[in-house]
Amino acid sequence: MNYLYKLFLIVFFYIPTSYFSQGFQVNLQGQKQQGMGGAGTAFMQDASSLFFNPGGTCFVNENSINLGITPTIARGAYMDATTNQVSHTNSPISTPFTAYALFQLKDSSDLKFGLAVYTPFGSTVQWEDNWTGRFALTRLELRAIFIQPTVSYKITKKIGIGAGFVYANGKVNLQKDIPLNDAYGNYAHAELNGKANGFGFNAGIYFQPIEKLSIGLTYRSKVNMEVKDGDATFTVPQSVANNFPSGKFTSKLPLPSVTTLGLAYKINNKLDIALDVNYVGWKAYDTLSFDYENNTEKLLDTKSARMYKNTFAFRGGAQYKINTNFTARLGLAYGITPVQNGYVTPETPDANRVNYTAGIGYQFGKHLKIDASFLFTHLERTDTNLETNLSGTFKTNVCAPGISIGYKF
Amino acid sequence: MKLCKTIFIITTAIVFAACTPKFNEPDLSTGSINASDYLAIGGSMTAGYSDGALYDEGQRNSYANLLATQLKNLGVGATIFKIPYAQSSIGMGNANNARSILGNRTDCQNVVSLGPVKIASQGDINVFSNNVYNSQGPFHNFGVPDLKSIEIDINGYSNPFYQRMASSGTSSVLYDAISRNPTFFSLNLGLHDVLKYALKGGASDNITPVSGPIGFGFEASINNVIEKLTANGAKGVIANIPSIKSMAYFNTIAWNALKLDSLTAANLNLYYGALSAPFSFSVGNNGFIIQDTSQFLGFRQAQEDEFILLNVPLDSVKCYKWGSLIPIPDRYVLTASEINNIENAINDYNTVLKNISETKGLAYVDVHSLFNKVKNGFIYNGVTINASFVSGGFYSLDGLNLTPRGNAFLANEFIKSINDKYHAIIPQLDAMKYPGVIFP
Repeated sequence: MNYLYKLFLIVFFYIPTSYFSQGFQVNLQGQKQQGMGGAGTAFMQDASSLFFNPGGTCFVNENSINLGITPTIARGAYMDATTNQVSHTNSPISTPFTAYALFQLKDSSDLKFGLAVYTPFGSTVQWEDNWTGRFALTRLELRAIFIQPTVSYKITKKIGIGAGFVYANGKVNLQKDIPLNDAYGNYAHAELNGKANGFGFNAGIYFQPIEKLSIGLTYRSKVNMEVKDGDATFTVPQSVANNFPSGKFTSKLPLPSVTTLGLAYKINNKLDIALDVNYVGWKAYDTLSFDYENNTEKLLDTKSARMYKNTFAFRGGAQYKINTNFTARLGLAYGITPVQNGYVTPETPDANRVNYTAGIGYQFGKHLKIDASFLFTHLERTDTNLETNLSGTFKTNVCAPGISIGYKF
Repeated sequence: MKLCKTIFIITTAIVFAACTPKFNEPDLSTGSINASDYLAIGGSMTAGYSDGALYDEGQRNSYANLLATQLKNLGVGATIFKIPYAQSSIGMGNANNARSILGNRTDCQNVVSLGPVKIASQGDINVFSNNVYNSQGPFHNFGVPDLKSIEIDINGYSNPFYQRMASSGTSSVLYDAISRNPTFFSLNLGLHDVLKYALKGGASDNITPVSGPIGFGFEASINNVIEKLTANGAKGVIANIPSIKSMAYFNTIAWNALKLDSLTAANLNLYYGALSAPFSFSVGNNGFIIQDTSQFLGFRQAQEDEFILLNVPLDSVKCYKWGSLIPIPDRYVLTASEINNIENAINDYNTVLKNISETKGLAYVDVHSLFNKVKNGFIYNGVTINASFVSGGFYSLDGLNLTPRGNAFLANEFIKSINDKYHAIIPQLDAMKYPGVIFP
């Protein structure tokens, strides 16, 4: 225990101080965990363990279904350093959701099966019309749904392992203006729209050395989302239409691996605490490229450096049982941005962030439980992009209230 | 139920409001200048000449008016910036003075291509006949197309662009400007002292010498302007002169754009060989044959860094042997020595302008550097801006004067200089809010 405590101190107080974390990752995969800053790799509560640690799923002794949704309101704004003009996003509310189903062949079986469907990556950023950075981006919509059939097996009373195969299906829609004026004063416009899919896995080990302490280690692999046969549509003045032929394009977006070490400790019968450290393999997002089928002198394939760095996130939270039915949760997370100086873009104007979270749970009788959570985070980043020379300050506030319903049978 | 709905709506509104990031209102200030009476003085660019004409939309987008608008936005009591609008969407003037637009043109070989075409066969000539001083003036924009430094203090200056805005038949541009008692001025004068000569291929007109009395020499004329403008303590900003080498007008038609196949090259070699000409032709690009009276033959082959002007009749080149069998006339060509004379004059003018700005404590705008930066190309908010004709976004369809976007970049340079010199905080313009060349 003493040793683990030391390890915990080392991890927490030797945070790398360079720029690193979150990008377009969405960490909203369980209301209970969301209430606790997103920690849950070593704290097995319900079927959401299929995502948080398949190795621990076998310790969740129930057949259950858990459905959740977190309507996420992200409001962004940009102030240009030279003009002082402020532009806002009017992005629609995004709705990351989770659906978990957990089965055991017989009661208290060592072997468990589960199916998890969730949305770990994605965002929709819609900038207001005529905004300063419109030639970099006007709208980006990313969606990725992961479907993960999972097996979890309790090797001993203290150790469980588990793994799930991930099939990811998504879409991307990217739009920006082209600096060509038509007779009506409008700029030309490009829209790239495509479907993408990819494969990966999610594996974990769960270890409970003593009753009060548990440790979890998981690895969620990188998923390469490939866009084949995407549609590139150009709306340009008629006189230059031949230079911008609409047609197919291909692209690729890597969704990074996440390695997580988690600890959970039961202080007493009412109070639990959990801590997670994520190491996110954002380095995979090195370049964003678009390969057009019909190239012209004016329409060349593009390669934009993104140069993301691998990064850490630290999550901690506490859960307190107020009475037999009522549970309250509080948490905090710190994420280090993967975006280096000079590479901040309007797609993901990312910055180091502190997430403040809180949650409640209520048990209705034996079978039904409802959990709710709230997350707030503020991002702020001043940068001059090396590719576009866009220079200014991005601010984003994220408010994400969520709710889930769990049914045990 | 109704209560629930109300609570839901209120909660949503609060969440949205709480979630919207805020920026502090930036500090704005005109620093140590009094911008309440700003006057702009200069030539074609200051007037808002664009696409080969003076017309309302160009005048509205002159860097001078854009700068005035930014000053006005500071709410420091700047008045309406009065401009002698042409009240014409075509352009004032006679034959060939209508503005150009981008359109399809068919050349002598029946090839259709996108290029500048005149919007009308002639400009609005009647504009010149009405003096608008009493109806529209007195003015703040004293940008007068083609105005030279040596012409600004000529009483009864006969430039028709000035005649229609003059306070009387015997006034000068400078007299009218000083009568306005400006508290702040911008001066962008000197380009036409070389440009008129340059646009004629050095075949006529003269480069204004640096020395000489007021009305003859650049230095004395500029000093006279500054002395009079600052007599009452007005502050100002002085622009220097860009290199003509940076302008699309002189860079669009390459000196060696004479492209030959082997047969034509051989035939030309035969022809010029018989004349004992000291040059020969090869397959591919060759220097054009240009008129040069200093040569024994009266012509020679163009060399690298010599300019064929944008107004050279391209059909004559394509179909009527201009530049190969017929030398391109002197008025369409700037030779190396002519360019050298022009550039030396510009450098001398800029020394004068810089010196007087320092002596008088005035802001100095390095337009020369801006135009060179455009020549090299730069990226602005994700857009490549350069000096390419039509596509570069900076030069209008006359290749010399600027698009609204080019004017915004120029206004931003003025703003930066004013901010630096007078500790002002005037925000720059988002140049991409202003169009480049319009594509049909």
